[in-house]
Amino acid sequence: MEHYDILIVGGGAAGISAAKSAKGKKVLLAEREEKLGGILLQCAHRGFGGDLSGMEYAATLTAGLDNVKVSLNTTVLSINCDKTALLSQKDSGRRKISFSRLILATGAMEIAAGALPIAGDRPKGVYTAGMMQKLVNCQGFAPDGPVVILGSGDIGLIMAAAIAKMDIPVTLVEKEAALGGMARNRRRLDGLSVDMVLNSTVAEIFGERELEAVLLSSGEKLPCKTLLVAVGLECDRKLIRKLENPEWLRLCGNCERVHPMIESVINDGTQAGEWACGI
Amino acid sequence: MKSYDAAVIGGGVLGCFALRSLCRYRLSAVLIEAQADVCMGVTRANSAIVYAGYDNKPGSLKARMCVRANRHFHELCSELDVPFSRCGSLMTSCGEKGNAVLEKKYRDGIANGLEGLELISGDKARKMEPMLSRDVQSALYAPMTGTVNPWRLGIAACENAVQNGAELRLNTKLLAIKETDGGYILHTDREDIFCKAVINCAGLSAHVVQRMVYPCAVSIEKDAADFLVMDRDIEKPSRIIFQEKEDGKGITAVPCTEGNLLVDSAPRAMTRPYATSAEGIESIKKQLTALLPELEQDIIRTFAALRPNPHSEDGRSINDFCIETPAPGFVSLIGIKTPGLTCAEELGRYVAGICAEYLQAPPNPAFDGHRQAIDCADGDIVCLCEGISRAEIVESIRRGARTVEAVKRRVGTGMGRCQGSRCEIKIAQILETYSNGTL
Ligand SMILES: Cc1cc2nc3c(=O)[nH]c(=O)nc-3n(C[C@H](O)[C@H](O)[C@H](O)COP(=O)(O)OP(=O)(O)OC[C@H]3O[C@@H](n4cnc5c(N)ncnc54)[C@H](O)[C@@H]3O)c2cc1C
Ligand SMILES: Cc1cc2nc3c(=O)[nH]c(=O)nc-3n(C[C@H](O)[C@H](O)[C@H](O)COP(=O)(O)OP(=O)(O)OC[C@H]3O[C@@H](n4cnc5c(N)ncnc54)[C@H](O)[C@@H]3O)c2cc1C
Repeated sequence: MEHYDILIVGGGAAGISAAKSAKGKKVLLAEREEKLGGILLQCAHRGFGGDLSGMEYAATLTAGLDNVKVSLNTTVLSINCDKTALLSQKDSGRRKISFSRLILATGAMEIAAGALPIAGDRPKGVYTAGMMQKLVNCQGFAPDGPVVILGSGDIGLIMAAAIAKMDIPVTLVEKEAALGGMARNRRRLDGLSVDMVLNSTVAEIFGERELEAVLLSSGEKLPCKTLLVAVGLECDRKLIRKLENPEWLRLCGNCERVHPMIESVINDGTQAGEWACGI
Repeated sequence: MKSYDAAVIGGGVLGCFALRSLCRYRLSAVLIEAQADVCMGVTRANSAIVYAGYDNKPGSLKARMCVRANRHFHELCSELDVPFSRCGSLMTSCGEKGNAVLEKKYRDGIANGLEGLELISGDKARKMEPMLSRDVQSALYAPMTGTVNPWRLGIAACENAVQNGAELRLNTKLLAIKETDGGYILHTDREDIFCKAVINCAGLSAHVVQRMVYPCAVSIEKDAADFLVMDRDIEKPSRIIFQEKEDGKGITAVPCTEGNLLVDSAPRAMTRPYATSAEGIESIKKQLTALLPELEQDIIRTFAALRPNPHSEDGRSINDFCIETPAPGFVSLIGIKTPGLTCAEELGRYVAGICAEYLQAPPNPAFDGHRQAIDCADGDIVCLCEGISRAEIVESIRRGARTVEAVKRRVGTGMGRCQGSRCEIKIAQILETYSNGTL
């Protein structure tokens, strides 16, 4: 069985930073996609490390990884308490490896519509905001308008701005009395035409096959063809669910807690890499 | 015009099994389904229970078929390579009226020939299922109750029928039927089809289909039920739990073969077809708290079901399976409700038998009832939540899946926590690559 000093699961900003700081050790960085970068790769907006887009930032980040073995198209399927992991790679299939330290950098996933107390139909046209971000920025897709976005956190705000810029009518629905997210993301809406409904949420969905409208808790019915759910992220710790905090494991980046800023993700990843080398 | 010995109208679980059973005879058969896939109607949303048979009136067709079907369910599922779990069930009661209902069901079960049925105390029930509420006073334990995924079962039967030479017409809606010399002309929104005999399995519309050519005294009213699906990783009971309340049927919690807990409500009035109701969902959650107070209600999905309620012209509801033969070569299964999933094979065999007798078709010695589940994983994991690989998805397309939804129902993609938000784009791309004749 192949052995590594350090196995890093997930090649987003956190995993890359951890790999870079784990100097002098035998490291495997496993990433399930065909490219490193994680969430950054779907961010076309500027605001990473100053004024770069997520994609540009990812390119600068991946420079200098030469001493690390990067295994792309590789999903880590399970992690066992005997410090082994089952990997599945696109062309070579499954293999088991062993490691001394594990850094989990699997990021976060979006809370899907199914988990929300929304009644009514289950038509096409309901997406998570992040999935739409990927469709728009990586596939050149344009959502059918009007669009309703539920939740005005950072992702909701970024998507509202992106869609308004495509001249598609968009309404942001937020259950609190004010928009959420960071101030700099709220400023993205300046000068754009985005309708806002505060103190409200989506109570019911209408449309047997295609989405037709959403009913808000305020009683207002908004006709729409696309609903984006942007109600938050949930740390993705499925792989370690059955492990009981072993001393050889450390979490970093969005799977440890959801970070709004890339700088703190990099910091977190770097520290995790240093920890893994230090002991 | 294409011509067949027998045509099945409707590809729910019953139509799929009728088609498979037709293959046991030497005849040509086709299934006509309006939707893009089979098992998208009533079969899509049900409780997934393989009933023991104590709920049905002794002597009824339902009781006989259900008890027999339950006994053979393991065999059926191994033939079709579909996961089946004989997990057992506890029907619980918290009061006198409920206790009396349990006692009656116990007696009916015994009369129906069930072995191993037991009336037990609340304490004993809690020993078996420690999560049960302290309020549970008594329970009816049925070790033979089980669970199966309804669409997996129907799809497997349909695949097996196709392996045995039957044909499938999806996206094809029957609009009218004309009686002609020696058979029927089926007018669909695509083509006209000739057949000598018809098996009508159109579910909620079976009365409408029969009326296309014969009278039908049965009508179908619809009501609805809401469902919640919990994340796989929560701690849950290992048996099916029924709740019999003082004022009637309560919720049912089913530990599915996929590992999720499925919880459904008693019937409610329908608003829009397949639309969930906020009050319905809230009430399930409340009743679940009363029944299983410690359960973490980690809901990943909600959906609603449509329930057929067949009734006769004078408005009386029909409690037994409603099977009509308005003409020798025409048989209808009308609005079959619980335990229709359990009895799908029995019902399919029964109607195919009627049809074969009419056609005087001899048994088909080449019939092979074995079908194999998709089992060809490669290294390219597409659905992260469920660990499903590209090769499995490609195989589901080869077997006929043409939509993201159809792939999901064959291999389980998108059934996890993220509900497809991380893999749907990739699956759509694979469909695009492979479904245009490349396979
Ligand atoms: C939509 C959005 C917009 C943002 N905008 C900004 C911004 O403008 N400015 C800013 O500073 N910050 C922004 N952030 C914050 C910051 O960029 C992110 O928090 C950060 O990129 C997260 O990095 P991560 O490595 O923790 O997670 P991710 O980038 O999600 O990386 C996780 C990686 O793990 C991989 N993976 C997961 N499971 C497995 C497995 N089992 N096997 C193998 N690989 C696996 C995934 O494929 C992924 O590549 C934004 C965040 C989001 C979500
Ligand atoms: C809420 C609920 C829970 C249930 N739980 C259980 C359970 O736990 N255990 C159990 O044993 N049973 C259960 N049942 C019963 C079981 O689900 C049904 O008996 C069974 O699914 C009925 O299948 P079907 O093939 O008749 O109907 P359907 O699945 O509705 O199939 C009918 C098909 O006909 C097609 N069709 C209709 N008209 C046309 C046309 N003109 N042209 C072409 N195609 C047409 C439709 O598109 C549809 O696909 C439950 C039922 C409900 C409602």
